[in-house]
Amino acid sequence: MFSFKARGALMRLISVSIICMGFAQVAPAGVIGTAYMLDEESRVASLSRIEVLLAREDVGKQLEAFGVDRATVVERLNGLSSAELLELEGQIESQVAGGDILAVIGIVFVVLLILELVGVTDIFKSI
Amino acid sequence: MFGARRVLRKSRLVPALFVLTSGCASIPPSVSDLPDAAQTVELEATPFYPQERYQCGPAALTTVLVASGAAVTLDDIVKKVYLPGRQGSLQFELLAAARTEGRLPYPVDGTLSTIWQELEAGRPVLVLQNLGVSAIPRWHYAVVVGIDTENDEVVLRSGTDERRVTPTRAFLHTWRRGGYWGLVALKPGELPAAVDRARYFEAVAALEEAGRAEAATAAWGAALSQWPGDTVALFGLANANLALRNFAAAEDAYRTLLDRDSSLLAARNNLALALAEQGEFDAALQEISVALSENRDAAVDKELRDTEATIRRRKAIAD
Repeated sequence: MFSFKARGALMRLISVSIICMGFAQVAPAGVIGTAYMLDEESRVASLSRIEVLLAREDVGKQLEAFGVDRATVVERLNGLSSAELLELEGQIESQVAGGDILAVIGIVFVVLLILELVGVTDIFKSI
Repeated sequence: MFGARRVLRKSRLVPALFVLTSGCASIPPSVSDLPDAAQTVELEATPFYPQERYQCGPAALTTVLVASGAAVTLDDIVKKVYLPGRQGSLQFELLAAARTEGRLPYPVDGTLSTIWQELEAGRPVLVLQNLGVSAIPRWHYAVVVGIDTENDEVVLRSGTDERRVTPTRAFLHTWRRGGYWGLVALKPGELPAAVDRARYFEAVAALEEAGRAEAATAAWGAALSQWPGDTVALFGLANANLALRNFAAAEDAYRTLLDRDSSLLAARNNLALALAEQGEFDAALQEISVALSENRDAAVDKELRDTEATIRRRKAIAD
């Protein structure tokens, strides 16, 4: 059984030898990497693109027709991880290669897709 | 690290698979068009590594690494990326091997125009081709070393051919079936000829994750010369300094970021670590408590609490 100090010394020795090998540098434990900030950035961009879509009048009318409050959808969107948001965007984009998505696949479909993916349609099922 | 990234990468594979399965589509002008003024270019000095049948991955990678000035041999790279069982190499293994050789692998955007621009800048471009058909693929890595704009041809180091000349159309079809995948090996500090911010930043962040802090320092420095004051690049440079144990420099950079935007919790978390590394445990714990009180994200909360626990442990050992 190592004492706490001996173990600390061993760990230091190991980390020093890793650094001296000239390979990977070891950052202190707990560092939040730059990739996190990049994810955040793409998340904010995805959110704003989807919110622009939701802010359209025709989309708003369709939401109303489904009896869904726009604020609820926005709230759900904010709860999605960046990966889920990207997935949502990807799903919408994969339906159309260019052009105005609403014109191509129809408002009803886009609205249903968003509702399904943010989980609002579960409300419909439970009624 | 937060887990979202891995999922993100996976979701980016989907369009590539779609490309592979979409049959014999034509090549869009956005892919094939060159700038009007484009002249013939060929990097004749690019080294050549004739390869055994299945080792085109290591050979192509060694070609672009040596062309970028890396001191590496084909044998080194074969050991790193060649999988005898699979008789080939995977794209991400090529990327990883390039990083361990101190280079920044930058995926090109899948247009002939970008390849031409990189060649003009003196960098050969590694490409993935499918020489078979989509249903029976025959994957092949090669290196584009020239584009002949008069004869409409592409010049490659490919397999056992030191100078394979292929009509541009034919090349583009094999490249399309390879998902238009390609990369250049940048020296850290070099920017690609046609730089895309998001793509470049992701490439450098991967360098950081691979623990190449010195290379990342140079790469973030180049990013800051292109996009002065960019928040992500400043954060990346600070993280690289933290990894290199330049704690005072890292601390300064985190403080600059927080002065600008006090809601950057990732910067505050890392500032706390930089302070703890300098023995300023109380100041470090103070920063973490500020971050914890401002944070509303459960995943980040866990990170912050882990950091707090780490600092407390270090403080207890120091006391």
